[in-house]
Amino acid sequence: AAAGGLRRAGWRLWRGRAVVRCQHYPPLRALQASAVLRRASDEHKKEPLTSSSQQHFDSPPAGHQPEQEPQGPHPSYTGQGGQESEDYESEEQLQHRILTAALEFVPEHGWTAEAIAEGAKTLGLSVAAAGMFHSDGSELILHFVSECNTKLSKLLQKEQKLVQLGEAEKKPTDEFLRHAVEARLRMLIPYIEKWPQALSVLLLPRNIPSSLNLLTSMIDEIWHYAGDQSTDFNWYTRRAVLTGIYNTTELVMMQDSSPDFEDTWHFLENRVADAMTMSNTASQVQSTGEAVVQGLMGAAVTVSN
Amino acid sequence: CRCRALLSRPAGTLRARRGLAAGPEMHFGFQTVTEEERREKIYQVFESVAKKYDVMNDSMTLGIHRVWKDILMHKMNPSPGTLLLDVAGGTGDIAFRFINYVSSVRERQLQRKLKHRQNLSWQEIFESYQKDKCNSLGDSQVVVCDINREMLKVGKQKAQHLGYSEGLSWVLGNAEELPFDNDKFDVYTIAFGIRNVTRIDLALQEAYRVLKPGGRFLCLEFSHVSNPLLSRLYDLYSFQVIPVLGEVIAGDWKSYQYLVESIRQFPPQEELKAMIEDAGFFKVDYENLNFGIVAIHSGFKL
Repeated sequence: AAAGGLRRAGWRLWRGRAVVRCQHYPPLRALQASAVLRRASDEHKKEPLTSSSQQHFDSPPAGHQPEQEPQGPHPSYTGQGGQESEDYESEEQLQHRILTAALEFVPEHGWTAEAIAEGAKTLGLSVAAAGMFHSDGSELILHFVSECNTKLSKLLQKEQKLVQLGEAEKKPTDEFLRHAVEARLRMLIPYIEKWPQALSVLLLPRNIPSSLNLLTSMIDEIWHYAGDQSTDFNWYTRRAVLTGIYNTTELVMMQDSSPDFEDTWHFLENRVADAMTMSNTASQVQSTGEAVVQGLMGAAVTVSN
Repeated sequence: CRCRALLSRPAGTLRARRGLAAGPEMHFGFQTVTEEERREKIYQVFESVAKKYDVMNDSMTLGIHRVWKDILMHKMNPSPGTLLLDVAGGTGDIAFRFINYVSSVRERQLQRKLKHRQNLSWQEIFESYQKDKCNSLGDSQVVVCDINREMLKVGKQKAQHLGYSEGLSWVLGNAEELPFDNDKFDVYTIAFGIRNVTRIDLALQEAYRVLKPGGRFLCLEFSHVSNPLLSRLYDLYSFQVIPVLGEVIAGDWKSYQYLVESIRQFPPQEELKAMIEDAGFFKVDYENLNFGIVAIHSGFKL
C-alpha cells in the first residue's frame, strides 16, 4: 500500500505540473507511461521549428529510453528560474491537438462529437477519445474562437510593428476598426455553413461565461491596437459600440450570399461610419449644450441688472 | 448482526480488500478465503444464478438497472466503427444496448447523407439503400467476454431470442488475463463485474493493454453512498430484502448474500479512481448515479 501510495502521489504531482525529475519515476510507472503523449513528443521532434512563441514540451526522458537521442535542436520550455520542465506533453496540449485536427472535419460533420472523433482518428487515436469532450461540441467551438482571436491579435501586432518601423501609414480609427473586424470575420468563411449552429451552442447557459469572455477580450484587443487610451466612461461606450457592430455584422454575414460577402463589408462600413458620426454628434451636442447654458446665464445676468 | 460484521473487519485484510496482491487472505463477501477459493466460489455463484440473473436484476433494483446501463451507453456515445470489449458481460445487456445505439446513429448518418443528395432520381435513391443495407452497423463490433460459461450460454440464447446476429462475438476469458492482443479495442466496459474480479489491479492493467491509444475505459459498479440517511435505508434494503428475494425467486439465498456483502467490500469511488490512475489511465473521473449507489468511472489511455 505504501508503494502504491507513493506511486499515486508521484503521479498526481506530475499531473499537477510540479517540477519532477525523471529519475524519481519508479520503473514500473515508466513502462506503463502513456503511449500517445510520449509519441507526441517524438512527433514534435520531427516537426520543423515554428515560431518561438509556441512552447514544445519535447525534451526526451533521459532515464527511460536510452536508445533515443538525448537532445534535439528544439526550444524546450523552461519554467521560472530555469528549472527542468515536464518531459511529456500534458493532457491539455493533446486535447488542443485533437481539436485542431477536428476543425477540418467541421464543414462535413458540423460542430459535433463526430468531427472530434474524426480528428482524433487522424492523430492515430481511437474514436473513443472524443469522449474526453462534451458531446455537443462546445469545446471545439470555443477552441476555434480562441484560435481565431489569437490569429487576429498576432495580425494586429504585426501591423503595429510595421507602423512603428515607419513602413506603413497609421490608419484612421474608422478604417482600422473596419479592417480588424473584417479580418476577424473572414476567418469564419471556411466554416460559414455550420456557423449558425456554433452561435447557438455558444449561447447555451453553460457556455456563456467562456464565450462572453472570449468576445470581450477580442474587442478589447482591437481597441487597444486602435490606440484607445481612454480612462473615463468612454472606455465602456467604445467597447459596447464595437461589440454591437461586430455581432450585427456577424449575423448579416450568416445570410449573405453576395460574392465574397461584399454586402457584409458594406454593412460594416455603414455601421462604423454611424458610430463615428454618433460620437461626433455626441460631442457637438455637448458643446452646444454648454453654449446654450452660457447664453442663458448671460441673459439672466442682463435681466437682473 | 450485520453491523458487528462490518466493524470487525481486521486491518490485515486491507490490501486484500482492495483486490491487490495480498498473501493468501482475500475476502468473499464478509468471509476470508484464499485467492483460489475466491475465484472458485465466485464461479459457482454465477453458475447457479445464471438462468435467473436478469429476472433477479429487475426485481432487486426495481428495473432501475436498465436506466443505469442506458446512462452508461449515453456516456460512451459510440460512433459507428467502434470496437467494444464488454468484459464480464455475461448475459449481454451492455452489448445489446451498444448495438441498438450504434445502429440508430448509423441510420441518422445515412439519412443525413441522403438529404445532401437532394436531386437524385428515385432509382438512384433505391440503389443507395441496397448499398448501405449491408452496413447497418457501420463496422462496429462488440466482443462479450466472460469467465463463466453458463452466463455466456444465457447471453447467446438471449441474443438469438431477441434477434441480434451481426456485430456480436462471445469469448470465454478471464478479466485478469484477457485472450486478446495489445491495442485492439476502442472502448472497454465492465458493468457490475469488476467487483467479482479477484485481482482488480491486474484487470485494470489488462484493460490498459488491450485498449488502443485514445481508447476509453468505462466501469459501472455499485459504490458507496455518503448520505447517512440514505445509506441506512440502503443497508436495510440490501441485507433484509435482497437475500429474501434471492431465495424466493432464484432459490439461492447464499449467492445473493454474497452479492450484497461484496458491494460493501468494494473500494469507494475515490479509491477506485486512484487504482485506475495507477494502471496508467488519464482523465479519470467518476459520476455518481442515485447518490452513489452506482458509480460510472471513466479513464482514457493517452
